[in-house]
Amino acid sequence: MLTSVPVFAQEKTGLKPGFQLKPGTARIVLLRPSIKVGAQSTGGMFEPNADWTAQARENIAAALGLAQTSLGNIVGDYVEPGNADPAMLAEYQELFDAVAQSVIEYQFFPGNRLPTKKRDGQFEWSLGADVARLPGLAGADYALFVTTEDHFGSTGRKVLQVFAALARVPVTAGVHKGFAGLVDVRTGELVWLNADLQMGGDVRDAEGAQKRVRQLLEGFPGKPADAPVTAVSAAH
Amino acid sequence: MRWRIAAALTIGMASTPAMAANKVAPLPPYVAAYQPTNVDERGAWMMADEDERHLRDAADVIRDPALNAYVRGVLCRTVGEDRCKSVRLYILRVPAFNATMTANGTMTIWSGALLRLRNEAELGAVLGHEFGHFELRHTLSSFRNRRSGSDLMAWASILVANSGAMQISTIGGFYAFDRAQETSADMIGVRYLATSRYPSAAAADVWDRIMGEADATAIGRHRKANQKYVAGFFATHPTNLARATYLRAAAQEIGDGGSAAADAYRAALAPWLPTFLADQVKLNDFGGSEFVLAQLAADGWTTPLLFARAELYRERGNPRDLVSAAGFYQDAIARGDAPPEAYRGLGLSLLRSQQIEPGKVALRDYLRRKPDAGDAALISTLVDS
Repeated sequence: MLTSVPVFAQEKTGLKPGFQLKPGTARIVLLRPSIKVGAQSTGGMFEPNADWTAQARENIAAALGLAQTSLGNIVGDYVEPGNADPAMLAEYQELFDAVAQSVIEYQFFPGNRLPTKKRDGQFEWSLGADVARLPGLAGADYALFVTTEDHFGSTGRKVLQVFAALARVPVTAGVHKGFAGLVDVRTGELVWLNADLQMGGDVRDAEGAQKRVRQLLEGFPGKPADAPVTAVSAAH
Repeated sequence: MRWRIAAALTIGMASTPAMAANKVAPLPPYVAAYQPTNVDERGAWMMADEDERHLRDAADVIRDPALNAYVRGVLCRTVGEDRCKSVRLYILRVPAFNATMTANGTMTIWSGALLRLRNEAELGAVLGHEFGHFELRHTLSSFRNRRSGSDLMAWASILVANSGAMQISTIGGFYAFDRAQETSADMIGVRYLATSRYPSAAAADVWDRIMGEADATAIGRHRKANQKYVAGFFATHPTNLARATYLRAAAQEIGDGGSAAADAYRAALAPWLPTFLADQVKLNDFGGSEFVLAQLAADGWTTPLLFARAELYRERGNPRDLVSAAGFYQDAIARGDAPPEAYRGLGLSLLRSQQIEPGKVALRDYLRRKPDAGDAALISTLVDS
């Protein structure tokens, strides 16, 4: 059966050259993850599902809490100060999304690199030094952004896929993509980004969410080399 | 005949909501604090909730409490107190004529619409139309229509040989469905107006002027002015002409009166008028902006309107425009309450019209009136040289 269109030669992780995060040295703040879960209709439309999204939000938060031990650094939730300017934080969330999409588009696809991003081993992206002025990031060293989006193929979509395969038409069922990024709060530099357009793990249940979080944090700088998988699977 | 009666009522009577209500179909019963029920609707509300989080904190939302309270008051007077409680209203600073509604009751109205509307009744017509989308649950039915249509197309593309014609008719169906929704929102909007203190004829007036502006824009850009009655294949809305026509007919049928409250509207918008005008002038739409200004100046040219018109002419910058611009700046200054920038505009227009000395005098006036202006250093180089 034809399950998917060919995967492009794509890189999944970008790390600022030489960047290393020693365990126990940094305080990381997790900004509100952007999580979207739903189904994919027969015709390919996204059908947002509020219950699945609520489950995923809970499961991913729990899984991030578990994974924290393997990151070797404290990860705390972002707490917005009461008198803060919410517009500024909102703008930085949007800016991070835009920068992350640019990295995926113009750095992770080697054939699609911008002229300034062609040098080997280069990873030079930034949100600007003003990130440090964001309210609530005062004691923090790094900000962690997490985004996931899942469209689970509906029964209709899967049946269509079978028939389409018989007719030699490639049809995909399901979209599972996500990315996670780490921004140096003091300089605004994006020091690490991990993006995957075909992620595993069903975020609607706890174990699937743990798998998803492990994949999201793959290549996270500075954790013990083989810690994540063993550490988290040992936890249950 | 009905039209004459309606006109007489408008002049002679303050408000006749009870009488009007007898003539139009009653509004559907309304449930306060509606909660989405099924999986599709809950999903739509979740997406709308996420979008609203972004919108709430967005930089281009106008947060002036007085303006927000005023616009909200017009919404409540149009759709009724219990209905308007379910709406969060955001005023966006976008210089285009538009308003939006999402599944969860997030309403936006854009500053370009506030600039173009003339009175509370017209504002109520626009807000009532958007509320109609919410009350009739249009987001949900549109989503379902598209989903079943795209499901059908997906199967057809595999199972039916040469399914192109069928796909085209299905896609056409999406847009026809959306246009039908717009029409039904228009019609329920007229019903809100009919039961409110505002005259329902205001809904059609809006579209008459929007057509006039579209024609003026087209002529200003050396294109053919053209209003069609029948919408195109990909049109999401009925044409402006069709809307003006059926809204006018519906209002005549209702024949209600009431005050459109133009003075109160002008007074409430006055603090923001210079800002909205400046945004409009920057659109590089000479014909359309001239039309909007002329409409706003129907009762006479005020200082902000004169200043905006002068800026518009100075920006186009033909030699004849600079002469006109200098004249408008002088008219604004003669009224006694012109902003300091009027002197800057006058000076720059005169300098470029080879009237060096009077130009320098005006620029010195500007610097004296606004010594800490951001461009003071730049302007002073023109004065000293």
